[in-house]
Amino acid sequence: MDGQAKTILQRIIRKIPNKKLEVTLKSWDRLSTEQLESLDCTQPKWLFLENLISRCGEKRLGLKAVTKLEMVYYIDNPNQGTWQAFQLMEAEDDAVSVSFTQFRERFKANLEEDFRHISIRMKKLEDGAIWIRIAWGDNFRKPNHLKPTYVVHYLQTPYVFFLNFMSKHKPFLYEALFRATRHTSIKEAHLSGRSLTALRDLVMRQYQQVFPTKDRTLKERNGTPLHPNIEKEHAEYAERRHQMACEAFGDGILPKLERAVYKLETRYRGNSSNTLNDKDELFRGVVKFSSSNLLQSFHHCVATGIVEGPVTPLLSSITQKGKNYFVITDKVPGATH
Amino acid sequence: MENVRQQGVLDHLMMLERAGTRRTERPQHSRLEELRNAIATLHVKRDRLRIETVAVKNLKQKMDQGMPLEDHDYGDLLQLEKALLTSRHMKLKDLQSAHSLIAGYDLMECNQGKSVCVSLHTAFEGVYVETYNMEVDLTRTVQISRHNIPPYVPLEMIAKQTLQTDFKGFLQTLSLHLNALAGRKQQISLIMELGTVKVIERNQLCNFLILMCKAQEESETVLCTLEYGDLTRYLPTRVTIESENTTLVESQQWRKNRLLLLEFPVHCALLTMRKMGSIA
Repeated sequence: MDGQAKTILQRIIRKIPNKKLEVTLKSWDRLSTEQLESLDCTQPKWLFLENLISRCGEKRLGLKAVTKLEMVYYIDNPNQGTWQAFQLMEAEDDAVSVSFTQFRERFKANLEEDFRHISIRMKKLEDGAIWIRIAWGDNFRKPNHLKPTYVVHYLQTPYVFFLNFMSKHKPFLYEALFRATRHTSIKEAHLSGRSLTALRDLVMRQYQQVFPTKDRTLKERNGTPLHPNIEKEHAEYAERRHQMACEAFGDGILPKLERAVYKLETRYRGNSSNTLNDKDELFRGVVKFSSSNLLQSFHHCVATGIVEGPVTPLLSSITQKGKNYFVITDKVPGATH
Repeated sequence: MENVRQQGVLDHLMMLERAGTRRTERPQHSRLEELRNAIATLHVKRDRLRIETVAVKNLKQKMDQGMPLEDHDYGDLLQLEKALLTSRHMKLKDLQSAHSLIAGYDLMECNQGKSVCVSLHTAFEGVYVETYNMEVDLTRTVQISRHNIPPYVPLEMIAKQTLQTDFKGFLQTLSLHLNALAGRKQQISLIMELGTVKVIERNQLCNFLILMCKAQEESETVLCTLEYGDLTRYLPTRVTIESENTTLVESQQWRKNRLLLLEFPVHCALLTMRKMGSIA
């Protein structure tokens, strides 16, 4: 096993907690059961790594197998790093009927045309997600496996997610995607975050959205009253606030976003006779919200009454439009692209 | 109440307690009296409503027969109009709930008339599947503000065609698409319940399906590819059958099977094929 493979293996093994080591190695499917049993997951990591390398040596596993392990690890733990969402536009008529085999062939062919040295690995998951790992090289150098780009695409939807995406590779990757998915342009979806599942749930609307329905009273939610003499005076208010929070941000487990950024390009409008008022220039500023679970915090603020309703469209646009980066200009009172 | 506020919570509670004990001291038979009075009032109300209904019916009859109205009838005319409006309103409401029951769509006004919320129900073979919702903004142009329809349904394409010009047609087309999608999805889960047939490939829009089944006689594997070209239907537009044994594919039985797959939902066709002995 060469140096690059060893470095990658070391990086992965360090990241995986001891409890998950066995499961990950089993889904890797490269070591035999006896070899797996001979490895002791409770050893300190450096010792475990050495044993693992010797097992790999027995099977003559090299860089290719290690990259497979890295991909398995990322597929099982997709919520790390910074993922960026993009949207393909201008679909051709046959975009809807592209199958996985067609996609794979066209994508690989396209990139292999442009790069003499490139390593592409693709896997389709049960839920329709296609995971692609690309190690970039060029005409003279071998692919650099220490800085791979990961691309996740859901067929028959226009959404693509990138991890570790370098701008110099953008035009080639875009072109390959256009040819493979039969679209002609791509735009940034202004959505980025640590959790791939959250980004996916937001753009594909897979979280629990709440719409105004006929029976607005959620009588069953509170269940039977604790005691007939106890009555919650503010039950109606609490319910209304809860409904407002759910309509704006969703219900149940919300997608986990870490930040929302609003870039202001508006004119300063104030009452006092500040010098800022007279200026014709734009007042540039950035408002950033950050939290370990942003949507949950907003939901809580509205549901408990810390923030007064109705929820401003600037905040509810996060879920409604599936974005967390907004540029606000003067003309449109809400969020713009 | 002002007085109470000044005195404090404990005093207020004591006052409430006193009022509560006073109430329980009243004898039981006063409750009986109350109920008897209620019955009497309701009787009176019922008789009054009976007279009113008869008068309205007579008036309507007169109007239907084209007889001239007399003076005292004009007072009843307003009542008649009101009654007719109420009955029409009730009829329409019943139609609306019936429509949503048969897996149609439901509209609800929200935001004081500025937007409308559409609930699209889907069903397959008499079973409700899923409900999708959509909020449509009606302020300047008709615009969809948010929805929970999955992205592989061609919503933008349908909206571009009919949303501005024909709202009802738009809802109709969308409902067809969603119902067909629900039908195709259900068929796939029903196939998996059969057990002996394996789903090799499928996609999210459920318009491309490859199944692997075992032919009964020679235990050979047969691959059936179903393509659903028309997204508003839950039956395939093209079926291809492949197997290593080409004579099996050409046989009359399997030609019939191919037609079965084209004409019936997949799980029904497969069940029939199993009963006839074509597949395991």
